[in-house]
Amino acid sequence: MEEIGKNESIRVSLDDEGAVIAAGDIDLAGGPLLDAAITRVENAKPVVIDLAAVEFIDSSGLRSLLAASRRAETRGTRVVLRSPSAGVVRLLTITGTTDQFDVQAASQA
Amino acid sequence: MSASVSPSIAPTAGTAESGPITLSLPPIPTMVRVGRLTASSIASLADMTIDDIDDIKIAVSEMITVLIQSGSRAMISLRFETTATEFSVEASTPSGVTDLARNDLALATAVLDAVADEHHVAATGDTIMIRVVKRLSSVASTDARSDSPS
Repeated sequence: MEEIGKNESIRVSLDDEGAVIAAGDIDLAGGPLLDAAITRVENAKPVVIDLAAVEFIDSSGLRSLLAASRRAETRGTRVVLRSPSAGVVRLLTITGTTDQFDVQAASQA
Repeated sequence: MSASVSPSIAPTAGTAESGPITLSLPPIPTMVRVGRLTASSIASLADMTIDDIDDIKIAVSEMITVLIQSGSRAMISLRFETTATEFSVEASTPSGVTDLARNDLALATAVLDAVADEHHVAATGDTIMIRVVKRLSSVASTDARSDSPS
C-alpha cells in the first residue's frame, strides 16, 4: 500500500494492484487529492477506485469521479467503483450518474 | 485570510432556546467539513432522524461549496434555525455574480432537490444567498397520515 496523500478530509492510497483507495470525506477539500491519485493510475484498464471507507461525498467529490470517467472513456476504458459505501451509492442514485461507472458492490469485490 | 480562523457560534439574542445559531466561516475548502459537522450537531439537537441529519450534512456541504466557488473570497455566513416543524439553513456571502447558470450548479441543484424539502438560490450582484429547508420527519409523517383518506 502506497499513501498518495491525506488532509483533514481524506486519506488516499494505492493498493498493490494499483487500485485507488479513498477513505474519509470526498468534498471540496478531499477531491483534489483523489484527482491526484487517479491521475497516477490512469494508464490502468480499467481504473479501479475503492470507496468502501468513504464516509461522506458531495457533488464536488462526484465531479472528480465523473471527470475520471470521462477521461477513461476517451481512452476506451471505464472507471470501476469498488465497494461503494451507502453514501456514495445514494449520491450516484440521486444524481442519475450510476451508469457512468462500473459499480462493483461489496459482495462482488 | 487565515485558514486557522475559528468559527464563532452564538445564539441570537431574544429567540427561542433552540436558536437561531449563526456561524461565520472563511471561504476555504477545509471549512466545508466544519460547516457540515456543525450543522449535523445542531440538527441532532432537534427531533431529527439519522437519515434527515445525513441529508442536512449533504445540503450544507453543497451550500458552502457553491458559495466558496461563486463568492468574492469573503466570509461565508450561515444561520441555522429549528422550529417545531422544520430545520432551516440560510447561507450567504458577498459576490458580484448575478448569473448563477454560468457556474456549475447542475449537480449541486440535483443534490439539493433530493435531500431538501425546499431550496432557493438567489444572486443579487452583491450577495449570493442559499436557503434550504428540511421538514422534521415526525411532522411530515403526521401530515401524510392526516392527508390520507380515512
